[in-house]
Amino acid sequence: MSGFTISRRTMLSGSAMLLASTAIPTPGWVQTPKKGGRLVLAADSEPRNLNPAIVASNGVFFISSKIVETLAEASYDGKDGLAPRLALSWEGAADGLSVTFKLRDGVKWHDGKPFTSADVAFSALQIWKPLQNLGRTVFKDLASVDTPDDLTAVFKFAKPTPFQLIRNALPALSSVVPKHIYEVGKIEDNPANNAPIGTGPFKFGEYKAGQYYRLTKNTDYWGKDEPYLDEIIYQVLPDRTSAASALEAGEIQLAAFSAVPLADLDRISKVPGLKVITKGYEGLTYQLVVEINHRRKELADVKVRQAIAHAIDKDFVVKTVFLGYAATATGPVPKNDPQFYTADVPTYAFDVAKANALLDEAGYKKGPDGKRFTLKLLPAPYFNETKQFGDYLRQALAAIGIDAELVNNDSAAHIKAVYTDHAFDLAVGPPVFRGDPAISTTILVQSGIPDGVPFSNQGGYKNDALDALIAKASETLDASARTDLYKEFQKAVAADLPLINVAEWSFISVARDTVGNIANNPRWAVSNWADTYLES
Amino acid sequence: MSALRRFLRTPEAVAGAILLAALIAMALSASLLFPGDPQAIAGPALLPSFQDWSLPLGTDRLGRDVLAELFHGARTSLAVGIAAAAAALVVGAVVGTLAGFAGGLVDEVLMRITDAFQTVPSFLLALAFVSVVGPSLGIVVIAIALGTWTGPARVARAEVLSIRERDYVAGARVIGMHPLAIAFREVLPNALPPVLAMSSVIVAAAILTEAALSFLGLGDPNRVTWGGMIAEGRAVLRTAPFLSIVPGIALVLTVLGVYLAGEGLVETTAVRRGLS
Repeated sequence: MSGFTISRRTMLSGSAMLLASTAIPTPGWVQTPKKGGRLVLAADSEPRNLNPAIVASNGVFFISSKIVETLAEASYDGKDGLAPRLALSWEGAADGLSVTFKLRDGVKWHDGKPFTSADVAFSALQIWKPLQNLGRTVFKDLASVDTPDDLTAVFKFAKPTPFQLIRNALPALSSVVPKHIYEVGKIEDNPANNAPIGTGPFKFGEYKAGQYYRLTKNTDYWGKDEPYLDEIIYQVLPDRTSAASALEAGEIQLAAFSAVPLADLDRISKVPGLKVITKGYEGLTYQLVVEINHRRKELADVKVRQAIAHAIDKDFVVKTVFLGYAATATGPVPKNDPQFYTADVPTYAFDVAKANALLDEAGYKKGPDGKRFTLKLLPAPYFNETKQFGDYLRQALAAIGIDAELVNNDSAAHIKAVYTDHAFDLAVGPPVFRGDPAISTTILVQSGIPDGVPFSNQGGYKNDALDALIAKASETLDASARTDLYKEFQKAVAADLPLINVAEWSFISVARDTVGNIANNPRWAVSNWADTYLES
Repeated sequence: MSALRRFLRTPEAVAGAILLAALIAMALSASLLFPGDPQAIAGPALLPSFQDWSLPLGTDRLGRDVLAELFHGARTSLAVGIAAAAAALVVGAVVGTLAGFAGGLVDEVLMRITDAFQTVPSFLLALAFVSVVGPSLGIVVIAIALGTWTGPARVARAEVLSIRERDYVAGARVIGMHPLAIAFREVLPNALPPVLAMSSVIVAAAILTEAALSFLGLGDPNRVTWGGMIAEGRAVLRTAPFLSIVPGIALVLTVLGVYLAGEGLVETTAVRRGLS
């Protein structure tokens, strides 16, 4: 406990002393967690709605996962890759019609009221199923939630629902919010959406637009001795180049979600006192994908799609666009997924001659100007890397005689152009793989999705065999049979190429050496940080 | 001939003319010296300047030749600058002549429209226009002209107001010329010189506006632009500053050249008019 008193005294004796003490070199790996301190980190976006039960997205989780907890969190070594949070155990019935959750005892909301199974039932039925962007699909057959006692919640499904899917969805989709706050008035307009109340290790402090979010320690937290930090400050730094300088200057101690540009990492890794961490994002894999509009007659021909796949030098993309911080993709499931990934799929090696031959075979000969046909290419504007890949793809297509005309849009216009108006031939998109293909991956290729649903198949692709496969997998209860079906799904997608998977990437954190317990789970940046600490 | 000599006597005009000539030479020789697509990947990514003499200024984040991009960018900058200035001058001169010559209600209406355009900062106007219509070279030219035609319109109107009272205009009226014919054949040519004197400022402003639009990602992505190059380089400002500095210097020299040459020209003509 001596560590505790020292750090406490240091903290009380003011910031000057704190600054001086960080100058004393301390080896980072033998430390036991210390209490106290304020963690200041960079935030690049300012979500207005901070309710993770409604908006299940990483931008919201980054802040609100410390305040509002889920039933379970992803884990490197836990059973099925999960660690308990608000739920202690979960069990699916053999018929796929119910899942029983045993909840943690003695948990209190930030306003002092006890957490019970009624809160879970309310969140699931009133928010996850009808309102949540991802929950709408996963919980679509949820009929009711029984609460036999305060610490048991039994989810009842109208149709058999694979337990594996529910399990995989827990870390991202199961944020529990308090019933007593949300049962009055319209849920979407509740003031707690902007100042969330949860059970997490930190309470919502304040938000100053354009400046910072402040979270304060929850002294009543259920975790023993947790949380270690007194405060977390999210310093709003929308300019990506400023995060690196702020870290070097010691103004912030952490920049997650690749707030430091990839090109700066090499330089920053040599700065004493800073460390570059590539772990802690395995559960948040982004995929670099070429979306294809199958309404274009040239692109409806599988030979043309194969030619485009052969024209892309994936290694070059990983090396140059991502500076090595990515992996080449083989299909719709990323390589780092432990459950579903299979390498046994058709692959398309970089081969310009073969691509040209395929296009000739398909009947699109080069014209006198060396061009076969012209396409409109819309790179998504959300990441530097998607825009750069757009520039690269234009060059790669030029090499096989396809003239691509780049169209740049802002985020809103891009989503409208691609997913509502279908005004594209090729688009570059960054869909997210969320631990189970049924959550946000099959929707990218499945037919019958209404116009306007973002990050879904809006390219007019229809393949009955593939649709049947997806439907079958969604009602297969046995986990290994279901996994096999998704392996077949990967093969089918890689063979017919409704879209082209190019690369998979995750994020990078840069932190001061003094920040401890970083990246200790696969969704670290969006987990609750109860065990994160600062060495003094 | 004497005008040329006068022009050459002012040192800043000569400096401007040399810079401008160099820029035009760059623009014209771009496809001779660097045939093919300047955005093609030419070598390893992020090669620093002055290391490999086949790629003297180095390469950008995708391995594109910075020198080739610079030459082709000169072409875009110059084309946009001249086209936008020409469009602004033509629209401005026509509107100003009509307003000044017709007077009355037409004058009121046209001048209030001009006021309306002048109250909105021209860059914001261009920004709004491009983000609504979508970026392409033609749209960027229109967007820039949209915010700059008001200056020439006001100057042209003021000139026309004085010219329309001259004797030869009254004479033209007496012989029964159509008012529009008088306005555009007799009045406009004489009102032009002070309007044209504004061209250098407008070209310089247009080049800067185009660069700013490209920097914000609202330029034509299928063409190399200096503003776009600076924006590209900004992400790697700490590791490869030359990617932003090189097109930045080109931009400064170009605007300086256009401005100095324009000033020299104005001075030359002003002296001549003053003497005559």
